[in-house]
Amino acid sequence: MTVMKLNVLDLEKSEYTGGKSSLCPGCGHDQISNVIIQAAWENGIEPEKIAKMSGIGCSSKTPAYFLGKSHGFNTVHGRMPSVTTGANLVNKGLSFLAVSGDGDTASIGIGQFVHAIRRNLDMVYIIENNGVYGLTKGQYSATVEKGSKKKKGNPNQQAPIDLCAMAINLGCSFVARSFSGSKKQLTALVRAAMSHRGMAVIDVISPCVTFANNDESYKSYNYVKENDEVLHILDYIPHFSPIEEVEVPEGEYQEVSLFDGSTLRLETIAADHDYTNAVSALGAIHEAEESGNHVTGLLYYDPEVPTATDTLGLTETPLVDLPEEMLRPSRESLDGVNSGFRS
Amino acid sequence: MTQRWGKIAMGKVINDFVINVATANGTGSQSSNLVILHSMFEMGVPVSGKNLFPSNISGLPTWFIIRASEEGYQAPGDTTNIQILMNKDTWLEDLEKLDSGTIVVYNTDVRLPVEREDCTLLGMPMTKMARKLNPKLGRLMANMYYVGALAHLLDIDEIAIEKAVAGQFKGKEKAVELNIQAISEGRSFAKDNWDFECQFNVEARDKDPKSFLIEGNEATALGCIYGGVNMLSWYPITPSSSLAESVIGWLPDLRGDGNGGSTCAVIQAEDELAAAGMVIGAGWAGGRGMTCTSGPGISLMSEFIGLSYFAEVPGVIWDVNRVGPSTGLPTRTQQGDLTLLYEASHGDTQHIVLIPGSVDECFEFGWRAFDYAERFQTMVFGFSDLDLGMNRWRTTGFQYPDSPMDRGKIVRSQEEMDSIANYGRYRDVDGDGIPYRTLPGSGLDPILYRGTGHDEEGVYSEDPQVYHDAMSRLKKKIDLARTSLPAPILREEEEKQVGVVFYGSMENTILEIDDILEQTGLSVSTCRVRALPLHPEVEEFVDRHDTSIVLEINRDGQLYGIMRKEIPAELVPKLNSVAYSDGMPPRARVYADKILEVLEGVVK
Repeated sequence: MTVMKLNVLDLEKSEYTGGKSSLCPGCGHDQISNVIIQAAWENGIEPEKIAKMSGIGCSSKTPAYFLGKSHGFNTVHGRMPSVTTGANLVNKGLSFLAVSGDGDTASIGIGQFVHAIRRNLDMVYIIENNGVYGLTKGQYSATVEKGSKKKKGNPNQQAPIDLCAMAINLGCSFVARSFSGSKKQLTALVRAAMSHRGMAVIDVISPCVTFANNDESYKSYNYVKENDEVLHILDYIPHFSPIEEVEVPEGEYQEVSLFDGSTLRLETIAADHDYTNAVSALGAIHEAEESGNHVTGLLYYDPEVPTATDTLGLTETPLVDLPEEMLRPSRESLDGVNSGFRS
Repeated sequence: MTQRWGKIAMGKVINDFVINVATANGTGSQSSNLVILHSMFEMGVPVSGKNLFPSNISGLPTWFIIRASEEGYQAPGDTTNIQILMNKDTWLEDLEKLDSGTIVVYNTDVRLPVEREDCTLLGMPMTKMARKLNPKLGRLMANMYYVGALAHLLDIDEIAIEKAVAGQFKGKEKAVELNIQAISEGRSFAKDNWDFECQFNVEARDKDPKSFLIEGNEATALGCIYGGVNMLSWYPITPSSSLAESVIGWLPDLRGDGNGGSTCAVIQAEDELAAAGMVIGAGWAGGRGMTCTSGPGISLMSEFIGLSYFAEVPGVIWDVNRVGPSTGLPTRTQQGDLTLLYEASHGDTQHIVLIPGSVDECFEFGWRAFDYAERFQTMVFGFSDLDLGMNRWRTTGFQYPDSPMDRGKIVRSQEEMDSIANYGRYRDVDGDGIPYRTLPGSGLDPILYRGTGHDEEGVYSEDPQVYHDAMSRLKKKIDLARTSLPAPILREEEEKQVGVVFYGSMENTILEIDDILEQTGLSVSTCRVRALPLHPEVEEFVDRHDTSIVLEINRDGQLYGIMRKEIPAELVPKLNSVAYSDGMPPRARVYADKILEVLEGVVK
């Protein structure tokens, strides 16, 4: 007799899957989709309470390939954060899980990305970062490193925009970088991001197998594997099963308490990295960049930043659930408005 | 051209004159002008005011036109009867423009020549007197002295002035006292020093105790609040900012939950694109989202407007039109965005546009817009303009919504879902072109909304037939909205000779235009369009009349273009366009002359 594996909600993993991917075989984005499915299932989030958000591009197509029981919105290029903002303001009860790309986020959508961080919008924002525009056949994006070369054409000459560094500078409450090929690390980070309240940015290097997986590309599989500077080994401990055996010597790990009561345990590798310190986090990013490496792990975390809805003084109930009598003021109130103008 | 001097009693012209006040902005003159306007209104004098202001905070020329008209005319008149000169920068130009016989009240402290022997020249050392009253506030207070001068010349009631000042400086007792004193000093100076009897006077009329003056933007804001808006995103832009700021101002009083929480989220967006995105996000999640902007904002929002149309997400955008194209004249008025709104975004689109012509309709369409948006699952525009939005107009009070909120075809439970045969997010199961929708969080029919081609289930599709059918249904949906939208207001003459089709803030000038036209012996009916797509009654109006003029405040005749496209071909020859725009609120004579010019070639 086979026992189906169920999560804390007694749901099978199949409740979290989506449609068949139409991306290129081997695309890093599909691995990320699988991680999202795994993370949402393991975390026991009700699928209908998740709202999948995306912009335009290869990455932004992926919400069709995971969480088929969740509503989603594949919006317009670079403008997913504003649509998410509007939905969040009227229904703060939803868990927003967004997928974007480096073109969608670092170029056309950089303004909305910046302002969503500034407001600490309560969402998970995953950037599937491959340094090229895949859907238009491999033009460089703004995150490609100087000197990096895609399969065809000349090496890139311009300095990259580092989205993690930018997010940290903007005071983003949760900033991490990972690699689509590091399933364990990525799963722990996505799970932790889902347990966070506020903006969780995860910049995931996700090689484009078709246009930029050659060794001269700094975002190719081989290059990232060889130049991945891992900050710490991550273990996610969910709030509903707090006891988990982790064999680490005393004093060599740190525990990050997350909003929903879960814990992210960091087994220290880079001893001097302090994830609560923006300077330390920025230092790690810039040092790795100088040596041509990608630093991965939880870069920065600050649970104290108020979210977009915290600062607006809204009523407790999500606004979409308010009855008409709370949305339309009374007839008497309008009499009062009219007579106020008359006096 | 006949000079209209109103009713003359014992050599006096009562309640029929135009005052033009020339000042620089940032000098407090707006308060003075509103005191004049409100004190006359308080006396029951039919009065209107137009603020012609620059795109600037301090130092550029501003004119305020006050018109009293027993006929109820609200357009700026053709002639200035009393000119107030305060601004040295426009002094000579303002003087030069005046007709012979104009009364000129000027600030002698400006020390510029007043060389118009053919006019009545009345000087007052306004700055000196103001400085004496209050050395610190002299510059601002000087403007209150022309209020006093006018109060003397026109015989404005003292109590009415006091009431208007109290209203203007609500709660600031010291300011009230000081301003009343300045006005009273101005009045005394005029009385003691000017040996002149003014032929223009105000005379109290029975004021409807229910009436008051209010800006269109505030009326719209109140309408939106009574429409249950629960997400306002906005980006500051003249002349729409005061709409958002009015919503913000009224929310604590009208939309609290009783425990200090608000039932409406307000967010100042990073730009108009984001503002539109937030409206769509709110609508998608089941909220009543809105933003307000002007033409440049609509240009930026266009991509999202197309998404709303194609993915069928409700939302409301108010466009308070200013003069385009480009940055244009940011503080002047126009009806130049109509075509833009109606067909905003790339590809084939068509949007519902509500066009208020009064502050009462600003309020009404403010709340109705949300009902239409949710009923038809699409972006609905409110189309106002700077003249209507930022000037003060009369109302006798806003009417409470006469129907409960229409939340449209939303499936909220599994039972409801089961009762719909052959449900599909984009399937027209009722034949009205409107499909049912479900909300995120409900778990019902979770689909991935998209701006890409989709079939009736919401699944990505590039199938030619699927695309064609989807676009045809959208056309049908908006087409069927025609009869649900506000019908035109018709004022018809029996002769059915000339029909004037117009819309929006032209309402405030049409009465005067109509009178000028009828003085020539023409019989003129009018039809005020209040929504796009056009109500069938508009076409019937055109059909009934020998000839029709489509009258609008733009260069190209935008409604004329829409009507040519949408009315039956055999009626098109009956249509004539009169379109004119110079940034000013429409003056009756200008438009009437243009209509007569067109009719000359048409009416035998």
